[in-house]
Amino acid sequence: MASKMALSRSFRLWGRALVVQRRSMGTGPLGYFPSRLDIGKREVVGFGLTGEECYVEDVHSPFPAIRFKEDTAEIAMLREKEKGDWKKLTVPERKELYRASFAQTLTEMEAPTGEWKPILGVTLFLSSLGIWFYLWMRKFVYDDLPETMTNEELVKDQIRFMIEGRTNPVQGLASNYDYEKGQWKK
Amino acid sequence: MASSSMKMALWTRNALIRGVRPQMQTAAGIRFMSSKVQETDAEFDARYEAFFNRKDIDGWEIRKAMQDLARMDLVPEPTIVAAALRACRRVNDYSLTTRFLEVVKFKCGSKQDEIWPYMLQEIRPTLDELGISTPEELGYDKPELALPNPYEIH
Repeated sequence: MASKMALSRSFRLWGRALVVQRRSMGTGPLGYFPSRLDIGKREVVGFGLTGEECYVEDVHSPFPAIRFKEDTAEIAMLREKEKGDWKKLTVPERKELYRASFAQTLTEMEAPTGEWKPILGVTLFLSSLGIWFYLWMRKFVYDDLPETMTNEELVKDQIRFMIEGRTNPVQGLASNYDYEKGQWKK
Repeated sequence: MASSSMKMALWTRNALIRGVRPQMQTAAGIRFMSSKVQETDAEFDARYEAFFNRKDIDGWEIRKAMQDLARMDLVPEPTIVAAALRACRRVNDYSLTTRFLEVVKFKCGSKQDEIWPYMLQEIRPTLDELGISTPEELGYDKPELALPNPYEIH
C-alpha cells in the first residue's frame, strides 16, 4: 500500500516537474537520448533523482539536479552577496535564495491536499445510489417474503422438523436441544 | 523488536555504505551473521564528518552525501550536520543549508519533538557562527505557498 502510494505520488511529482519545464527533443551532449528536458540557463548542481538534468520534487530525494529558477539578474546579485558573510543576508533574501533553488519546502510537499474529502463524499454518494436502488427493487420488483418466513406457525413447524431430524447435532441447531428432557438446553 | 529493527537499520546502512568506501572499514565491529566487518557508529560518524570536512568538496559531492544520509534509516549526528553546514559555507550555497536542515528535521520522523530540539541545541554554535537560519526562523515549518495541482490545470 505504502509503495503504491509512493509510486502514485512520484508520478504526480513527475507531472508537476513537467509543468515547470517543457519537454523538447534534445541535441545536447546526450543528443541520442530520446527525451531531454530543456532546462534553459538553470545551473546543474547535482545528481538529482535519476541523473537526468531535471527538477523533480520528492521528500525522499530532496536534492534536485538543477536549480528551480534560472539565474536572473536579481538572483545573480544575491549569489554575489551569498559569497560574503551570511549574517548580512536578510530573511527575505534568504527565502529568495531558497526559492531560487527549490520550488517547495518539504512541509509544503507534505501538506495535506484535502483530497480525501471529495473521495469520501463521492464514495458515500455512490454507495447511497446502491441503497436507493435496493429500496426501489424492494418496492417495485421483489415479491413479498414467502409465507414460510412470515407466518410464525410455519416457522415453528420448520424448527420442530429440524429438531426431530437431528439437524447439525454437533455445533448447530440440534446440539442446543436436550432430547432427554425434551427442551432447549439452558 | 527493537533489536531486529536496529539490525535492519545497521544492515541497510552498511549495505549502502560498503559500496561507497570499503577501505574505510578497518576495526572489527559487531557481527550479525556475516563474515564482513561491520562499521561501528563512531566510525560511520567520523567518516561522514571527514567527508564533509574535505577542503576541496564541491556542491555535487555535498548533495551526494546529504542524499545518502537522507536515504539511510538514521538521523545524522549533530557533528555531521555541523560539518555539512560548514561545507555549504565553503561552496557558498545558502539554500542548501535550509534544505538540509529541513531534511534532518524530516528524518526525525515521529520523534521530532525529542530529537529536533536536541539537534538545534547541538548545532546552535555553528548556526550562529555562519549566520544560518533554521527552517522555523524562515517560516518553513508550516506551508507558506501552494502550487496548483497539475491535474487541475486545463
